[in-house]
Amino acid sequence: GVFAHLERLEAQAREVAVKQEKMKQEEEKRARLKARVRELRLQRDKLLAKVRLQKKQLREKRAMSDPAKSGARAVLEWKIKNIKAMLQVSYLTGINGKRTKQGVCFCISTAYESTYLDSYYVHLLVKPEVQIHQHSVPTFIPLEQIAKQYLQTDIGRFLSVLSDHLNAYAGRKYQADQLQEHFSDQIEGTLQRNSLCNLLVFNYKVSSKSKTFPFNARLLYGDLCCSLPTEVNVSCTPDAPASLAEMAAAHSDLFSRVALHKAFRSFSSDEESMD
Amino acid sequence: MDNSICQVYEDEIQSLEEEIKLLAEKYEDSQQESTFFSDEEILMSIKSFQRESEGHESLSDLITQLESLETDLSFLKKFTGIQFTSHFKEIVEKTTNRTVRKHRLSGNCYSLSFQLEFQLLEMQNKENVSAVVTDLGIIMESGEDSDMSKFVSSTEEHGNLLRFFRSLSSYAEWYEHRRCTFLHFK
Repeated sequence: GVFAHLERLEAQAREVAVKQEKMKQEEEKRARLKARVRELRLQRDKLLAKVRLQKKQLREKRAMSDPAKSGARAVLEWKIKNIKAMLQVSYLTGINGKRTKQGVCFCISTAYESTYLDSYYVHLLVKPEVQIHQHSVPTFIPLEQIAKQYLQTDIGRFLSVLSDHLNAYAGRKYQADQLQEHFSDQIEGTLQRNSLCNLLVFNYKVSSKSKTFPFNARLLYGDLCCSLPTEVNVSCTPDAPASLAEMAAAHSDLFSRVALHKAFRSFSSDEESMD
Repeated sequence: MDNSICQVYEDEIQSLEEEIKLLAEKYEDSQQESTFFSDEEILMSIKSFQRESEGHESLSDLITQLESLETDLSFLKKFTGIQFTSHFKEIVEKTTNRTVRKHRLSGNCYSLSFQLEFQLLEMQNKENVSAVVTDLGIIMESGEDSDMSKFVSSTEEHGNLLRFFRSLSSYAEWYEHRRCTFLHFK
């Protein structure tokens, strides 16, 4: 009895100690967070005051652009910031380059309309002759072929052609991705595509007046520098009515002229306007 | 219950940290944009700085840095013909993974000058940074050309900034050859 009783008391004491420790830690955490909030608020208020004062000074047009007053160091620091900011947005031009110890590293940006997508780099050595040292271009892009044709004679042209290939690939991939992301309810099964995204095969359906029409589409992008297909085949089941065959032909024409995700977007809006 | 208080504090900490970053960049931008030094003023400063900094390594580092940056900037011109002459930026929004800035960028491509205005949204997701261009406005010096204005309006409509630069580069190169050829025969 006595030992069991003692054990019980010990266990209780341990429990209480653990609880107290936990409460202490939570209190400390709360206090720490509270202090941090106070510290940050102070920092933010100081900055706000600084920005407001600056606005006031600018309105009063206190002399801020007199080089004699600013001192040579401030002038140079201003120019350095200015150039750095320009270099930071230079990727928007599509081709960006930086000299390295061994040669030049070029960065090629890709975009679909207003969205900038992945960028790829090509590091060139210039001695003893121009050659590719390292790159991040995917294997299915004919880099060696393009290099063979242009690298020795016209680096600008090499970059331009490579950029065309990469941008077209990025555009095709973007369309397929958009289709899978936003129109998955109209795609039956999986969208089949190769790594170069120049062959797409999929089954899809279009609804109108609460009826659904199934189609199969095969898009071949024969021009690797283009993000529109060169060959489109849209088919329906062999026993389908003539009206469906007409629709298939219309879709086939549409897919060869309009980006894939935009074409599907127009299907949805057609359906809305019909209902 | 204790957890929710901590969460409130943590949320406020995050929002304050973002606000601080935004204000700091706003301050920097305004400092930078309220000033303008011409190329002559900059050259004068470099000369006086070189006199001051004789023997001081850390000061001449600034000049070296400036020269290196200028070389990088003019290096871009070599392969695309594109040269930026002025840039203005203004921070609009800054959160942990979203940054929106307004930009005004002027420059030329061979003999064709351009002025651009756009908003750039940069987003950090798991693997990379993506950027979206909105509110694109383009002014071309040679605006009278009807083909050029058609090209410009279509580019503005779709926010096709990359295509603008790529097309400008090849068009300007051709335009330059034509101009030089013409002058040659004059």
